[in-house]
Amino acid sequence: MRRVLIIDDEDDIREVAALSLEATAGWKTITASSGAEGIQIALAEHPDAILMDVMMPGVDGPTTFRTMQATPAIAGIPVLLLTAKVQGVDKRRFADLGVAGILFKPFDPLTLAEQIAEALRWKDGAPSLSH
Amino acid sequence: MSTPPDAEIQALLRDLWERHLPSLVERIGVLERTAGEAALGAIPEESRAEAQSVAHKLAGNLGMFGHHQAGEIASRIEQTLKAPTPETLAELVPAVASLRQCLDGHL
Repeated sequence: MRRVLIIDDEDDIREVAALSLEATAGWKTITASSGAEGIQIALAEHPDAILMDVMMPGVDGPTTFRTMQATPAIAGIPVLLLTAKVQGVDKRRFADLGVAGILFKPFDPLTLAEQIAEALRWKDGAPSLSH
Repeated sequence: MSTPPDAEIQALLRDLWERHLPSLVERIGVLERTAGEAALGAIPEESRAEAQSVAHKLAGNLGMFGHHQAGEIASRIEQTLKAPTPETLAELVPAVASLRQCLDGHL
């Protein structure tokens, strides 16, 4: 079973994303409310993918991603950034970071898992990436 | 694991909506307070920053619960609050009223 770590400072976004991935795809989700907490959980749990908000108080998503990339134990985990921003300059900036993909808020809870699977080229029935 | 029908997921989403309603109402209240300040001609920087953050959050999550039009209004309010001018500030009061009206019956 795939395991996805959701990092977002907003309770409702975390809960809807978790509900969406669990109910529509049967994936297991783990949640964190900050980048620092997310890094700790990623180190402990080694999820198959991370879905992370861009704008968070304190340490934002891009900074958290760079810290993850500099941490060998979790550098290989694909990260998808979740953002409400749609300006071209932001898309370019995030793509240049080296993230696995960018998803936009508001997302459709019925299709979020499909978007993630498509971005990560996950095929139905494929073995979990990290196990 | 079998996939629950969409109706079941929608019911779970409605439960989440109900649970997060108090914070949603509070956020709209922040926008209404800021719009009230705008109607008087100026918004203190602290109010502007708070309202912009609130509008950003609403823009990101209202559509997730199926309230797409309200989410788009919140997004426009966020843009207005990024760099308000006297002209755009005048649009804030009707925009916030539209947001409230759009969610009427769901709050």
